[in-house]
Amino acid sequence: MLNVDLNKLAEHLNNQIPGANATVHFPEDIKKCDPSLTVEASKIFQVVQFLKSHPETPFNSLHVISGVDYVEWMEVAYVLTHYSLENPRQMILKVKLTDRVNPVLDSIVKVYAAANFQEREVFDMFGIRFNNHPDLRRILCPDDWKGWPLRKDYVAQKDYNGMAVYPDGKMNFEDREFIIRQDMIKKAQEAKAH
Amino acid sequence: MQDGVVLTTLDDFLNWGRKNSLWPMTFGLACCAIEMMATGAAKYDLERFGCGAFMATPRRADLMIVAGTVTLKMASRVKTLFEQMAEPKYVISMGSCANKGGPYWQHGYHVLKGVDEVVPVDVYVPGCPPRPEALIEGVMTLQKKIANERLLRNKWVKHA
Repeated sequence: MLNVDLNKLAEHLNNQIPGANATVHFPEDIKKCDPSLTVEASKIFQVVQFLKSHPETPFNSLHVISGVDYVEWMEVAYVLTHYSLENPRQMILKVKLTDRVNPVLDSIVKVYAAANFQEREVFDMFGIRFNNHPDLRRILCPDDWKGWPLRKDYVAQKDYNGMAVYPDGKMNFEDREFIIRQDMIKKAQEAKAH
Repeated sequence: MQDGVVLTTLDDFLNWGRKNSLWPMTFGLACCAIEMMATGAAKYDLERFGCGAFMATPRRADLMIVAGTVTLKMASRVKTLFEQMAEPKYVISMGSCANKGGPYWQHGYHVLKGVDEVVPVDVYVPGCPPRPEALIEGVMTLQKKIANERLLRNKWVKHA
Protein backbone atom coordinates (compact mmCIF):
# COMPACT_ATOMS: atom_id res chain seq x y z
CA MET A 1 0.00 0.00 0.00
CA LEU A 2 3.06 2.24 0.19
CA ASN A 3 2.54 3.28 -3.42
CA VAL A 4 3.35 6.96 -3.03
CA ASP A 5 5.80 8.53 -5.45
CA LEU A 6 8.06 9.89 -2.73
CA ASN A 7 10.50 11.61 -5.10
CA LYS A 8 7.72 13.62 -6.68
CA LEU A 9 6.27 14.39 -3.28
CA ALA A 10 9.65 15.53 -1.94
CA GLU A 11 10.12 17.82 -4.93
CA HIS A 12 6.66 19.23 -4.42
CA LEU A 13 7.33 19.76 -0.71
CA ASN A 14 10.62 21.53 -1.33
CA ASN A 15 8.92 23.88 -3.78
CA GLN A 16 5.98 24.62 -1.53
CA ILE A 17 7.72 24.92 1.83
CA PRO A 18 11.09 26.64 1.76
CA GLY A 19 13.53 25.01 4.16
CA ALA A 20 11.59 21.75 4.40
CA ASN A 21 14.66 19.98 3.04
CA ALA A 22 12.74 16.84 2.13
CA THR A 23 14.92 13.85 1.30
CA VAL A 24 13.86 10.37 0.30
CA HIS A 25 15.42 7.24 1.70
CA PHE A 26 15.09 4.09 -0.38
CA PRO A 27 16.30 0.93 1.35
CA GLU A 28 18.57 -1.50 -0.45
CA ASP A 29 16.31 -4.39 0.34
CA ILE A 30 12.67 -3.41 0.07
CA LYS A 31 11.62 -6.50 2.01
CA LYS A 32 13.47 -5.43 5.12
CA CYS A 33 12.58 -1.77 5.30
CA ASP A 34 10.04 0.62 3.81
CA PRO A 35 10.97 3.80 1.91
CA SER A 36 10.56 6.97 3.91
CA LEU A 37 10.60 10.71 3.56
CA THR A 38 12.71 12.77 5.95
CA VAL A 39 11.99 16.45 6.53
CA GLU A 40 13.44 19.24 8.65
CA ALA A 41 12.23 19.08 12.26
CA SER A 42 11.33 22.77 12.45
CA LYS A 43 8.99 22.50 9.45
CA ILE A 44 7.03 19.44 10.53
CA PHE A 45 3.81 21.34 11.20
CA GLN A 46 3.73 22.97 7.76
CA VAL A 47 4.71 19.71 6.07
CA VAL A 48 1.95 17.75 7.75
CA GLN A 49 -0.54 20.52 7.04
CA PHE A 50 0.49 20.43 3.39
CA LEU A 51 0.21 16.63 3.20
CA LYS A 52 -3.25 16.70 4.71
CA SER A 53 -4.45 19.21 2.15
CA HIS A 54 -2.56 17.60 -0.72
CA PRO A 55 -4.56 18.18 -3.94
CA GLU A 56 -4.20 14.68 -5.38
CA THR A 57 -3.82 12.38 -2.39
CA PRO A 58 -4.81 14.11 0.84
CA PHE A 59 -3.37 12.06 3.69
CA ASN A 60 -6.51 12.22 5.74
CA SER A 61 -5.49 9.84 8.52
CA LEU A 62 -2.62 9.60 10.95
CA HIS A 63 -1.90 6.00 11.85
CA VAL A 64 0.92 6.16 14.32
CA ILE A 65 3.69 8.32 15.72
CA SER A 66 6.66 6.50 17.10
CA GLY A 67 9.98 7.58 18.49
CA VAL A 68 13.29 5.89 17.84
CA ASP A 69 16.51 6.33 19.76
CA TYR A 70 19.53 5.84 17.52
CA VAL A 71 21.95 6.64 20.36
CA GLU A 72 23.58 9.47 18.33
CA TRP A 73 20.28 11.09 17.45
CA MET A 74 16.54 10.72 17.98
CA GLU A 75 13.96 10.16 15.33
CA VAL A 76 10.19 10.55 15.19
CA ALA A 77 8.30 8.61 12.53
CA TYR A 78 4.78 9.40 11.35
CA VAL A 79 2.72 6.96 9.31
CA LEU A 80 0.18 8.88 7.22
CA THR A 81 -2.57 7.26 5.21
CA HIS A 82 -4.72 8.38 2.34
CA TYR A 83 -7.97 6.50 2.74
CA SER A 84 -9.96 5.92 -0.39
CA LEU A 85 -11.52 2.83 -1.88
CA GLU A 86 -10.00 3.25 -5.34
CA ASN A 87 -6.51 4.31 -4.47
CA PRO A 88 -5.40 3.83 -0.86
CA ARG A 89 -1.94 5.17 -0.08
CA GLN A 90 0.37 5.21 2.89
CA MET A 91 3.65 6.91 3.59
CA ILE A 92 6.28 7.15 6.30
CA LEU A 93 7.41 10.60 7.31
CA LYS A 94 10.47 10.94 9.47
CA VAL A 95 12.03 13.72 11.47
CA LYS A 96 15.56 13.69 12.81
CA LEU A 97 16.31 15.36 16.12
CA THR A 98 19.98 15.99 16.72
CA ASP A 99 19.59 17.36 20.24
CA ARG A 100 19.41 14.18 22.25
CA VAL A 101 19.49 15.76 25.69
CA ASN A 102 16.45 18.00 25.30
CA PRO A 103 14.65 17.16 22.06
CA VAL A 104 11.82 19.50 21.09
CA LEU A 105 9.40 19.21 18.20
CA ASP A 106 6.24 21.02 17.06
CA SER A 107 2.99 19.28 17.88
CA ILE A 108 0.65 18.35 15.02
CA VAL A 109 -2.45 17.97 17.18
CA LYS A 110 -4.03 20.95 15.40
CA VAL A 111 -3.81 19.05 12.11
CA TYR A 112 -4.56 15.53 13.32
CA ALA A 113 -6.46 15.20 16.59
CA ALA A 114 -5.30 11.56 16.73
CA ALA A 115 -1.79 12.83 17.39
CA ASN A 116 -2.73 13.82 20.92
CA PHE A 117 -2.25 10.45 22.64
CA GLN A 118 0.47 9.36 20.22
CA GLU A 119 2.60 12.37 21.04
CA ARG A 120 1.98 11.85 24.71
CA GLU A 121 3.28 8.32 24.37
CA VAL A 122 6.40 9.47 22.53
CA PHE A 123 6.92 12.03 25.28
CA ASP A 124 6.40 9.37 27.92
CA MET A 125 8.85 6.90 26.43
CA PHE A 126 11.51 9.15 24.87
CA GLY A 127 11.20 12.51 26.58
CA ILE A 128 10.63 14.34 23.30
CA ARG A 129 8.71 17.49 24.15
CA PHE A 130 6.03 18.73 21.77
CA ASN A 131 5.44 22.46 21.47
CA ASN A 132 1.81 23.64 21.50
CA HIS A 133 0.53 20.28 22.68
CA PRO A 134 -2.75 20.83 24.59
CA ASP A 135 -2.05 18.28 27.35
CA LEU A 136 1.49 17.00 27.42
CA ARG A 137 1.53 14.54 30.33
CA ARG A 138 2.79 11.01 30.71
CA ILE A 139 0.26 8.53 29.37
CA LEU A 140 1.44 5.05 30.40
CA CYS A 141 3.97 5.52 33.16
CA PRO A 142 2.86 7.05 36.45
CA ASP A 143 3.09 10.83 36.65
CA ASP A 144 5.91 10.71 39.17
CA TRP A 145 8.03 8.31 37.12
CA LYS A 146 11.64 9.30 36.58
CA GLY A 147 13.45 8.94 33.27
CA TRP A 148 12.46 8.01 29.74
CA PRO A 149 12.14 4.20 29.55
CA LEU A 150 12.74 3.53 25.85
CA ARG A 151 15.92 5.57 25.60
CA LYS A 152 18.99 3.41 25.16
CA ASP A 153 20.75 4.91 28.15
CA TYR A 154 17.77 4.45 30.46
CA VAL A 155 18.53 3.01 33.86
CA ALA A 156 15.47 1.99 35.84
CA GLN A 157 14.98 3.62 39.21
CA LYS A 158 15.69 1.44 42.23
CA ASP A 159 12.56 2.23 44.17
CA TYR A 160 9.12 3.35 43.25
CA ASN A 161 6.71 4.34 46.06
CA GLY A 162 8.62 2.17 48.51
CA MET A 163 8.58 -0.87 46.20
CA ALA A 164 11.86 -2.26 44.96
CA VAL A 165 11.94 -2.40 41.17
CA TYR A 166 14.64 -5.08 41.16
CA PRO A 167 14.45 -6.75 44.58
CA ASP A 168 17.63 -8.36 45.86
CA GLY A 169 17.50 -12.12 45.90
CA LYS A 170 15.03 -12.25 43.04
CA MET A 171 17.25 -11.01 40.25
CA ASN A 172 19.99 -12.61 38.21
CA PHE A 173 21.87 -10.06 36.18
CA GLU A 174 24.44 -12.44 34.77
CA ASP A 175 22.63 -12.63 31.50
CA ARG A 176 24.04 -12.25 28.03
CA GLU A 177 21.28 -9.95 26.85
CA PHE A 178 21.84 -7.66 29.75
CA ILE A 179 25.54 -7.32 28.97
CA ILE A 180 24.68 -6.25 25.43
CA ARG A 181 22.43 -3.57 26.81
CA GLN A 182 25.18 -2.36 29.13
CA ASP A 183 27.35 -1.83 26.06
CA MET A 184 24.62 0.29 24.50
CA ILE A 185 24.36 2.36 27.65
CA LYS A 186 28.12 2.98 27.57
CA LYS A 187 27.92 3.98 23.92
CA ALA A 188 25.10 6.38 24.63
CA GLN A 189 26.97 7.94 27.53
CA GLU A 190 30.01 8.46 25.32
CA ALA A 191 27.80 10.07 22.69
CA LYS A 192 26.37 12.36 25.34
CA ALA A 193 29.85 13.37 26.52
CA HIS A 194 30.94 14.42 23.02
CA MET B 1 -32.78 -40.08 67.09
CA GLN B 2 -29.53 -41.52 65.74
CA ASP B 3 -30.45 -40.81 62.13
CA GLY B 4 -31.00 -37.10 62.70
CA VAL B 5 -27.73 -36.21 64.43
CA VAL B 6 -24.48 -35.03 62.88
CA LEU B 7 -21.56 -34.42 65.14
CA THR B 8 -18.70 -32.06 64.22
CA THR B 9 -16.58 -29.43 65.85
CA LEU B 10 -17.67 -25.83 65.53
CA ASP B 11 -14.37 -25.01 63.79
CA ASP B 12 -14.96 -27.67 61.16
CA PHE B 13 -18.50 -26.45 60.65
CA LEU B 14 -17.39 -22.86 60.15
CA ASN B 15 -14.56 -23.90 57.85
CA TRP B 16 -16.93 -26.04 55.81
CA GLY B 17 -19.13 -23.02 55.27
CA ARG B 18 -16.25 -20.68 54.51
CA LYS B 19 -14.39 -22.93 52.12
CA ASN B 20 -17.47 -23.67 50.06
CA SER B 21 -18.51 -20.07 49.59
CA LEU B 22 -15.28 -18.37 48.58
CA TRP B 23 -16.34 -15.29 46.67
CA PRO B 24 -13.58 -13.93 44.47
CA MET B 25 -13.29 -10.34 43.42
CA THR B 26 -13.98 -9.32 39.83
CA PHE B 27 -10.48 -8.27 39.08
CA GLY B 28 -8.27 -9.13 36.13
CA LEU B 29 -5.04 -7.51 35.08
CA ALA B 30 -3.89 -9.22 31.90
CA CYS B 31 -4.20 -12.37 29.80
CA CYS B 32 -4.53 -14.61 32.89
CA ALA B 33 -7.87 -12.92 33.44
CA ILE B 34 -9.13 -14.52 30.22
CA GLU B 35 -8.31 -17.95 31.64
CA MET B 36 -9.96 -16.93 34.90
CA MET B 37 -13.11 -15.98 32.96
CA ALA B 38 -12.97 -19.32 31.17
CA THR B 39 -12.70 -21.02 34.55
CA GLY B 40 -15.73 -19.15 35.77
CA ALA B 41 -17.73 -19.88 32.61
CA ALA B 42 -19.83 -22.93 31.81
CA LYS B 43 -17.19 -25.40 30.66
CA TYR B 44 -15.01 -25.39 33.77
CA ASP B 45 -17.64 -23.95 36.10
CA LEU B 46 -15.93 -22.59 39.17
CA GLU B 47 -19.34 -22.47 40.82
CA ARG B 48 -18.99 -26.19 41.52
CA PHE B 49 -16.57 -25.15 44.26
CA GLY B 50 -18.80 -22.35 45.51
CA CYS B 51 -16.29 -19.98 44.04
CA GLY B 52 -18.10 -18.60 41.00
CA ALA B 53 -19.82 -15.57 42.47
CA PHE B 54 -17.44 -12.87 41.28
CA MET B 55 -18.12 -9.83 43.42
CA ALA B 56 -17.88 -6.38 41.95
CA THR B 57 -16.60 -4.82 45.16
CA PRO B 58 -13.75 -5.80 47.47
CA ARG B 59 -15.98 -5.42 50.52
CA ARG B 60 -18.06 -8.47 49.62
CA ALA B 61 -15.18 -10.65 48.44
CA ASP B 62 -13.18 -13.25 50.37
CA LEU B 63 -10.66 -14.10 47.69
CA MET B 64 -8.51 -11.99 45.44
CA ILE B 65 -7.25 -13.79 42.35
CA VAL B 66 -4.37 -11.65 41.09
CA ALA B 67 -4.66 -12.67 37.44
CA GLY B 68 -1.98 -10.97 35.41
CA THR B 69 0.98 -8.63 35.34
CA VAL B 70 1.14 -6.30 38.32
CA THR B 71 2.79 -3.11 37.14
CA LEU B 72 4.30 -0.72 39.63
CA LYS B 73 1.55 1.74 38.76
CA MET B 74 -1.07 -0.89 39.58
CA ALA B 75 0.66 -2.31 42.68
CA SER B 76 -0.56 0.43 45.01
CA ARG B 77 -4.11 -0.07 43.68
CA VAL B 78 -3.87 -3.84 44.27
CA LYS B 79 -2.74 -3.16 47.81
CA THR B 80 -5.62 -0.74 48.42
CA LEU B 81 -8.14 -3.29 47.08
CA PHE B 82 -6.67 -5.96 49.32
CA GLU B 83 -6.93 -3.69 52.33
CA GLN B 84 -10.57 -2.93 51.51
CA MET B 85 -11.49 -6.62 51.66
CA ALA B 86 -13.06 -7.86 54.88
CA GLU B 87 -11.25 -10.45 57.01
CA PRO B 88 -10.74 -13.36 56.61
CA LYS B 89 -9.29 -12.83 53.15
CA TYR B 90 -7.17 -14.90 50.83
CA VAL B 91 -5.01 -14.20 47.81
CA ILE B 92 -4.28 -16.50 44.88
CA SER B 93 -1.39 -15.34 42.74
CA MET B 94 -2.21 -16.60 39.26
CA GLY B 95 0.41 -16.96 36.55
CA SER B 96 4.11 -16.27 36.21
CA CYS B 97 3.79 -12.48 36.19
CA ALA B 98 1.97 -12.30 39.49
CA ASN B 99 4.23 -14.97 40.99
CA LYS B 100 7.64 -13.57 40.13
CA GLY B 101 7.42 -10.99 37.37
CA GLY B 102 7.20 -13.53 34.56
CA PRO B 103 8.75 -12.47 31.26
CA TYR B 104 9.27 -8.97 32.66
CA TRP B 105 11.54 -10.33 35.33
CA GLN B 106 14.83 -9.19 33.81
CA HIS B 107 14.13 -5.99 31.88
CA GLY B 108 10.68 -5.05 33.12
CA TYR B 109 11.40 -1.69 34.68
CA HIS B 110 7.65 -1.17 35.13
CA VAL B 111 6.65 -4.54 36.62
CA LEU B 112 6.47 -5.53 40.25
CA LYS B 113 8.56 -8.68 40.73
CA GLY B 114 5.82 -10.76 42.27
CA VAL B 115 2.62 -9.61 43.91
CA ASP B 116 3.91 -11.02 47.22
CA GLU B 117 5.95 -7.81 47.48
CA VAL B 118 2.75 -5.93 48.38
CA VAL B 119 0.14 -8.45 49.57
CA PRO B 120 0.46 -11.80 51.42
CA VAL B 121 -0.15 -14.68 49.00
CA ASP B 122 -1.76 -17.97 50.05
CA VAL B 123 -1.54 -20.01 46.86
CA TYR B 124 0.70 -19.59 43.84
CA VAL B 125 -0.60 -20.99 40.55
CA PRO B 126 2.22 -21.44 38.02
CA GLY B 127 1.72 -21.15 34.28
CA CYS B 128 1.74 -18.56 31.55
CA PRO B 129 -1.21 -18.36 31.62
CA PRO B 130 -2.31 -21.31 33.79
CA ARG B 131 -4.97 -23.56 32.32
CA PRO B 132 -8.38 -23.45 34.00
CA GLU B 133 -7.61 -26.83 35.56
CA ALA B 134 -4.56 -25.29 37.22
CA LEU B 135 -6.61 -22.45 38.68
CA ILE B 136 -9.17 -24.97 39.95
CA GLU B 137 -6.30 -26.88 41.54
CA GLY B 138 -5.23 -23.63 43.18
CA VAL B 139 -8.73 -23.00 44.50
CA MET B 140 -8.90 -26.55 45.85
CA THR B 141 -5.53 -26.13 47.54
CA LEU B 142 -6.84 -22.98 49.15
CA GLN B 143 -9.96 -24.85 50.27
CA LYS B 144 -7.78 -27.48 51.91
CA LYS B 145 -5.85 -24.72 53.63
CA ILE B 146 -9.05 -23.13 54.90
CA ALA B 147 -10.37 -26.53 56.08
CA ASN B 148 -7.31 -26.87 58.34
CA GLU B 149 -7.65 -23.45 59.92
CA ARG B 150 -8.65 -23.23 63.57
CA LEU B 151 -10.19 -19.79 63.83
CA LEU B 152 -12.06 -20.23 67.11
CA ARG B 153 -9.33 -22.17 68.85
CA ASN B 154 -6.74 -19.59 67.85
CA LYS B 155 -8.98 -16.83 69.09
CA TRP B 156 -10.26 -18.25 72.39
CA VAL B 157 -7.79 -20.84 73.55
CA LYS B 158 -4.55 -19.25 74.69
CA HIS B 159 -2.28 -22.29 74.51
CA ALA B 160 -3.28 -23.08 70.92
